[in-house]
Amino acid sequence: MKYTLIFLLILSSDLLSQKKYDFIFTKDKITIPNYDDSLESKVYLYNGEIEEDFITSATPILGKTFFQEDLLHFSPIIPLGWDRIYTLVYNHSITYFKIPLPKSYNKLYVEEIYPTSSKLPSNILKWYIKFSNPINRNNVYNYLHFINAKGDTLSRAILPLENLLINKDKTLVTLWIEPGRQKRKLIPNQLLGSVFTSGENYRIIISKNIKDSNGVSMQKDYVKNFSIIDADRSKPNITQWHLEHPEKESLSPLIIKCYEPLDYGSVLENINISYKNQIIRGTWELSNNERIIQFLPKKKWKLGNYRINFNQTIEDLAGNNLSRLFDNEIDNSEDVNVTNQEHIIEFSIYE
Amino acid sequence: MKTLITFIISLLFSFFLQKAQANTYLKANFKTGNPEISSIHKMTFGPEGILFIGDSDAAQIIAVDLSEHPKLDNSKVKLDNIDKLIADMMGTTIDQVQITDMVVNPNNNNIYLSINHSSGIPILLRVEENVLKQVPLDNVSFSKASLTNPIDKEAKDRRGRSLRKWAIADIKYTNGKLLLSGLSNQEFASTFSAIDFPFNEKQESSSLEIYHAAHGKYETHAPIKTFIPTTVNGTSQIVASYTCTPLVVFPIDKIKQGKHHKGKTVAELGSGNSPVDMIEIASEGNRYLLIANTNRPLMKMDFKDLESFQGELTKPVVKKGAAEGVDYVNLPYVNVQQLDKMGDNGFIIIQRESNGNLTLKTGNSWWVK
Repeated sequence: MKYTLIFLLILSSDLLSQKKYDFIFTKDKITIPNYDDSLESKVYLYNGEIEEDFITSATPILGKTFFQEDLLHFSPIIPLGWDRIYTLVYNHSITYFKIPLPKSYNKLYVEEIYPTSSKLPSNILKWYIKFSNPINRNNVYNYLHFINAKGDTLSRAILPLENLLINKDKTLVTLWIEPGRQKRKLIPNQLLGSVFTSGENYRIIISKNIKDSNGVSMQKDYVKNFSIIDADRSKPNITQWHLEHPEKESLSPLIIKCYEPLDYGSVLENINISYKNQIIRGTWELSNNERIIQFLPKKKWKLGNYRINFNQTIEDLAGNNLSRLFDNEIDNSEDVNVTNQEHIIEFSIYE
Repeated sequence: MKTLITFIISLLFSFFLQKAQANTYLKANFKTGNPEISSIHKMTFGPEGILFIGDSDAAQIIAVDLSEHPKLDNSKVKLDNIDKLIADMMGTTIDQVQITDMVVNPNNNNIYLSINHSSGIPILLRVEENVLKQVPLDNVSFSKASLTNPIDKEAKDRRGRSLRKWAIADIKYTNGKLLLSGLSNQEFASTFSAIDFPFNEKQESSSLEIYHAAHGKYETHAPIKTFIPTTVNGTSQIVASYTCTPLVVFPIDKIKQGKHHKGKTVAELGSGNSPVDMIEIASEGNRYLLIANTNRPLMKMDFKDLESFQGELTKPVVKKGAAEGVDYVNLPYVNVQQLDKMGDNGFIIIQRESNGNLTLKTGNSWWVK
């Protein structure tokens, strides 16, 4: 985002200097039009309001001073924050300033939480939180909590990863429910039990204190209520899925009714349709609490035979994929061949 | 005099020849410019001052030549309140920055910190005489390799947002290969890859799945959190620690593409804890494994105990929080967030001390003698 020019001079201390300078402040750059070319042209910027006596011991903000179009500039390596006080030192004059948050600023909010259903299996494995703006990926787990019906926060419910699973544009966070508790017989499961109990009600809360990439918080907490049903211990079975065929020479969607909610993150890019061995282009979507997959083609459907290819890594809410259960029993052999089964549904469009 | 001149010329020739030979091998395909790094999550040093950067956001590994940095004596390094210091250098608050990794160049003892700022701009810092300095990454000598899965169709939701995420958990270099462990948001599985270095266009990358069966009959596909390539009983092995803290050993040469391979679980380090970092230190003829943890002190394990451990753990640990398997001792360093080897037998840590001070300092090598 390009920020418009913001000019705000809060306080200026010219105890050490007789000359007044004009400064132009933006998040990316500080510009001094009437710089003094007889002096060493170095600009120092500090985080916070640093009193004059402490300037020499303060750590300057990383950035570079440079000339451009006959103006003197200082560009920090990281854009300056909204509503933060900074201390600028140039030619022994000290200037305190801040860049106010624009009134039109679009504040962060939660667009959606997946799964969207309010009835979830007790062995649910993943959640996805979709934010309106890129978020600050640091310390995210501090702002996400599961609460039981008594109002108690569930401990060790989320697997905290050092490297947060967040998509490229920093708007979609993947949360793993502690797999060691969701998978039977593992130590955390035996010591603490599964995270959720069938028949109980819970809430997931995203605290309003979570910040976007500009350091600006949400306006209010986001809360989703849900209840827990029995664990899902069976694989999704595509032979039981139902297809609603599109009409020939139309752009109508192909609809696949799955009858159970699927995992939001593992479906859309693990499925394609081929026609005469060519993958056809279009858009995949999930709807009806992720029970329906639909495909909207870019070009009209032609007469003929089609093949829907499902990658085996498509999962249900409990992490069971098309080929194996999340809770998988194993034999004691040293090596097990990786299964790479084909999962295909074929259909035809007739006259 | 003539002899001296000849000697100096020979020395200079030898120096430049060595440098040229080095450049023709590992750095032959390096180019100078901006490697377009999107994020720095994990780092490791290879030979000749090459820093490997794991960039999860762009799904790539970047090899950067940092051999030009001067040799330093960082044996007395100590930087207190380093989180506040870094936040001040970025002009922001502590909650907007995160130290994602710390590595030491074994050739010259330079310490590097990778910083993640909320804006998403990746920052690399270097410690020199107890001062943090930025290492600009917009004009460096580098080569890089993409980690994008060829079957990845880069599908997007209806708003054009990518859903896939693959995060690098750890990277290490050994014998011309870069080893990576990672975690995807699509499947809770342990993925382990080996990429040839120098990178080439015809990249040989193996996708491997490894599991361990420490808990009876349910397989654990948990991702490897941290690992080291090393030698155990004379053979090349990976010692890996998983999120649920079993320590697992598996031979590098037995990992085949397209196979699950069952690792040998040699220790359970206590539940309710996750490993952070792992290093190997040699001292006075002995080798030690140091493991930093989220909820346990820094652990020291003697390689002799690891090598002499017979069998493997197959039954759950019944006693809450107890450890089993290869013995280890807890060192008096708690809340160690970053760990790396320093010099021949020292180590360096970033530790949250009991008074709240986050400090970068050297560990006392007395503990590993």
